[in-house]
Amino acid sequence: MNKSIGFQLPKRFSPPVIAVILAILLFVISTFFLKTDTGLAGMINRGKMIINITAFLGLIAAGQTIVILAGGEGIDLSAGTTVTLAAILTAVVADKSDARLPLALFVALSAGALVGLINGIGVAILKIHPVVMTLSVSGVTMGTILAIYRGAVQGGAGPGFNKFVAMPFTIGNVNFGFTGAVVAWIFVSIVLWFILNKTQFGKHLFAIGVNRDAAHLSGVRVTRTAILAYVLCGVFTAFGGFIVLGYIQTVYFIIGDGYLFPSIAAVVLGGTVLAGGEGSYWGTMSGALVLTVLDSILTSSQVEERARLIVLGVLLLAVISLYGRQKALRQ
Amino acid sequence: MAQNLTSNDIVKHFAGVTALSSGCLTANSGEVVALIGANGSGKSTLCKIITGVVAPDEGQLLLNGTPISFSTPVEAIKSGIAAVYQDLSLIPSLSIAQNIWLTREPMSGIFIKYRTQRKRTQELLDLFADTMRTSLTPDTLVNELPPDEQQIVEILKAVSTNPRIMILDEATSSLDSRQVDRLFTLIGEWKKQDKAIIFISHRMVEVFRIADRITVLRNGKTVGDFDAKKVKEKDLINLMVENAKEHLEKTGTSIFKKLRETVLKVTNLRTQRLQGIDFEVKKGELLGIAGLQGQGQSDILHSIFGSIQFSGTIELDGRDHQFKHTSQSMAKDIALVPGDRAKEGLLMRLSILENLMLPSWRKYGLPLNTGKAKKDAAKTSQSLKIIMADLNMPVSSLSGGNAQKVVIGKWLQRNPRILLLNDPTKGVDVGTKAEFYDLLKDLCKNGTTILFYSSDDEELVGLCDRVLVIRDGMIRKEIPRSKLTLSSLITASVTSSEETAHATD
Amino acid sequence: MQQIRRFFTKKTFVFSIVLFILVILVNFAMQYANLGLDKFEKRFMFLLDNNIRGFIPLILLAIAQAIVLINGSIDLSIGNLMGVVAAFLVTQYSKDDSIARFLQVFVMAIGIGVLAGALNGIFVSLVRIPPFITTYATSFVFSGIAMWILPRPGGNMPEIATTFYRTMLPLGLPMGMWIILIIMLLWLVFRNTRFGAHMYAIGGNEKAAFTSGVSVIRHRMSVHMIAGFLAAFAALALVLITGSSDPRIGATMTLDSVVAVVLGGTPMSGGIGGVVGPIFGVLTLGFVRNIVGFANVDTWVQPLVDALIILVALASPSLIRLILKQARK
Repeated sequence: MNKSIGFQLPKRFSPPVIAVILAILLFVISTFFLKTDTGLAGMINRGKMIINITAFLGLIAAGQTIVILAGGEGIDLSAGTTVTLAAILTAVVADKSDARLPLALFVALSAGALVGLINGIGVAILKIHPVVMTLSVSGVTMGTILAIYRGAVQGGAGPGFNKFVAMPFTIGNVNFGFTGAVVAWIFVSIVLWFILNKTQFGKHLFAIGVNRDAAHLSGVRVTRTAILAYVLCGVFTAFGGFIVLGYIQTVYFIIGDGYLFPSIAAVVLGGTVLAGGEGSYWGTMSGALVLTVLDSILTSSQVEERARLIVLGVLLLAVISLYGRQKALRQ
Repeated sequence: MAQNLTSNDIVKHFAGVTALSSGCLTANSGEVVALIGANGSGKSTLCKIITGVVAPDEGQLLLNGTPISFSTPVEAIKSGIAAVYQDLSLIPSLSIAQNIWLTREPMSGIFIKYRTQRKRTQELLDLFADTMRTSLTPDTLVNELPPDEQQIVEILKAVSTNPRIMILDEATSSLDSRQVDRLFTLIGEWKKQDKAIIFISHRMVEVFRIADRITVLRNGKTVGDFDAKKVKEKDLINLMVENAKEHLEKTGTSIFKKLRETVLKVTNLRTQRLQGIDFEVKKGELLGIAGLQGQGQSDILHSIFGSIQFSGTIELDGRDHQFKHTSQSMAKDIALVPGDRAKEGLLMRLSILENLMLPSWRKYGLPLNTGKAKKDAAKTSQSLKIIMADLNMPVSSLSGGNAQKVVIGKWLQRNPRILLLNDPTKGVDVGTKAEFYDLLKDLCKNGTTILFYSSDDEELVGLCDRVLVIRDGMIRKEIPRSKLTLSSLITASVTSSEETAHATD
Repeated sequence: MQQIRRFFTKKTFVFSIVLFILVILVNFAMQYANLGLDKFEKRFMFLLDNNIRGFIPLILLAIAQAIVLINGSIDLSIGNLMGVVAAFLVTQYSKDDSIARFLQVFVMAIGIGVLAGALNGIFVSLVRIPPFITTYATSFVFSGIAMWILPRPGGNMPEIATTFYRTMLPLGLPMGMWIILIIMLLWLVFRNTRFGAHMYAIGGNEKAAFTSGVSVIRHRMSVHMIAGFLAAFAALALVLITGSSDPRIGATMTLDSVVAVVLGGTPMSGGIGGVVGPIFGVLTLGFVRNIVGFANVDTWVQPLVDALIILVALASPSLIRLILKQARK
């Protein structure tokens, strides 16, 4: 008598693949359902637009992926405030000039690294639970922002940058339809792929995600690797905030909040195991795609925020019920 | 009152692996039946089915001729079946009393009668009086106990249910000889009380000592059932392993080794369990570490490896080293094979390849040359004869012996100068053990220095150049090869220091 | 000697009590500085009363969180769960409701709380999703529901109830103190039942508990439902003071509940803890915030100060432990 709830997915359909299929399905259904342009050209255009929007969530969820892979119930609940912080710092330092953008980028990434370092020290050295630590740090970040800027932030990114991020790419006469944000996203995905698969750090990251004791006995510097994971998370998240500024152009304090929950959902949807040690960034990218398609459907249907929250919550529960279940106590 | 438990043709699959294809076992009251078989033969699975922890896919379980099935472990306990497992089922943060009486707490209305609970616990503890080091009270927390005493609590827990059928699954693996003696005395009493006992062990000496009947499992199938007094050990071994090999030959190739330079010198080593250890090891030596369980032997290895805190001096080639982290000792070509394979030695969810290569990635450059890594891993797994489907399969798909080869393989990749082994053949089948012994001898011949802690005295006698016997955190005796016999080892392990000083070798 | 050591490790709240005493002294010193010293005793009771009553909602949430943590689970939705019940209460009541109506609605509110807890419980114990992500997800579901019921801050509470709660001093002692006493007594009873003992077993080692026959699924379900039950009371305690509710109130209180529990010495790994720790954790946190309030901090800087307090509060037990370990070397 075999008792089990739910079902096991066949191995060929890895979560990233499923997510992409799901995204495409939802997209196609929504096109007909919402009575938008159903011609192929129209659909492709809309599809490109969706990918352009997904880029932002995709960038922000990169850091989250690293920290969840590291295991130990790792998570970054300060991602939202880090995004806001990075966007504000970029706006202030760049002060509407393209020339100062490299400096602004440096400042933003450093701030992200600092936040990550604090998170890492709290989690890996002081052994504070990641949920609690990152949540508290997000409060401190927000508090710092309020205390310094008191409600209004002047400045912004330069016009060239804004165009790069928000407008579709054109080389010569060919309009690719994708924005600079997507280019940045692809760049980040390559960097992250390299870090996770072609560096010793990446191997050690997966190792500590699976079993910290065994990793330690194999020579892995567990504490250092964990802290570095949080620092990298902060850096990637800050980069996300940097790019986001190019899109929204004026900063307001709750920019980051809307990305936090979706970033976690994207990682989970993409098949990265919450316990750590298993997963990939491709998964997160696919997860981000699904969420963006879903969100666009909800927005087009003019669903209010309160319902959106409920839908997101239910969706996350549903997805986790499919892939994220722990082993039954009795097999 | 005669009880009889029979399992007929039990089948069980786990995620692509068939643990049991025909599990048959009969246990009668007043009798001890031993269940033996190589690693992965299905012994533990069969027991877990009998005790309701796992559900069988096919087959029948009969109690006194009536078919039964258990949907939870509690039902099995209510039917009078109790088991003592290999993986302890105790809760470390609770006390001995709380652990033993969990779900059967003496009640008064809705409240637990703690005083009664304590009293009953003390009565149980008295059964093993004088065989335990620490002074135990019912309120002692389990996480304060060493492994052998935790095992005893586990046994007492089973006893407290007053079972008709007792299953002891490798219950003696953590016990010292005094405790085993006491346990066997208790088993004798249980037989008189008409209890049926199922005894699972790798230790043939114990099996022949206590069993009335012996059932043999091989690859998930019962292949034989014998009268313990009539069958020969050699025949049993041949039945357990596919290829008949001379496994039990004491490989006492006592090539008197030419002593080379001292490679490791330990002075006044102190840890929580060690009270000051001094010894030297020469290059190419196979030094054994022996003694009763939990005397601090693994601390010696972990201190040299740098994975625990210690005080004292450890000199490598004449230079003092205070390794604070494993990566430092690894840089000096020291390797440690840990005692608990699943928790310390392997990353179970990762592939065989990843496990083999984890300590070595630094040598593969940036970006990592994963192609070369794959080749090197394939080479190592071939030379160790690891039986696997593919390097990319998760290491959890391997049987115990092969999994242990991966643990050793990952260190051999690095050509260590000093190899530290922490009870490496625990739970490894007889065939793999033999391969392992040959490997160790080859390594020594090529200049690798080996420190080998084992809870299996026979093993040490067969392999080592010298054995250090540890007791109460200190070296009680050093036995050179010429005087190394099973009896001299055991004598040194249990007698007090004064007696050892006078003992005739 | 070993027994003393065991006392300190088992009674994890010692640290929080010491901290609490310190904080209370500073707190009252500052309050008296503001209000003068006349009629000492009456003032003392008054201050104590007001303060503690304000802490009751968080105390209840912290206890709920502690129970869930001891069981080895966690509840990140508890604040928003409370928010749902609070929203329900203030939209169902009107100012002139009778006592009977008051009780009637409250019983329904308890039902809602327990159901919400059951939702968490089902996903955690039956579907077996890790608790921190489950409750993180349900926290959004609950906040959405709360917003649905009560889109804007407001609502009503029966005057009979609010007056009673705000002004009564049974036997001259603060109402809040009585509530805490009742809670502690109930806990003592709970602790000595099988359910209580099993809670620690499951939190200590879930697999071992299961093998020993503890009904882990049923227990964990119950624990989450108890959390929902307590959250309902917390909601009541909250709206009785304020007379209305804000749909967004839940979010910060979840973090506060975890911080209070950690401050009180309960480890997040499960298997250890009690009710005294969380209570003192809440009181300490509350009084520290009072002190900050008296220090006349700029409104724009207050969130930062509050967040820093929380961070320091979380880091302190670990920092102290680390320092002690270094000192022992």
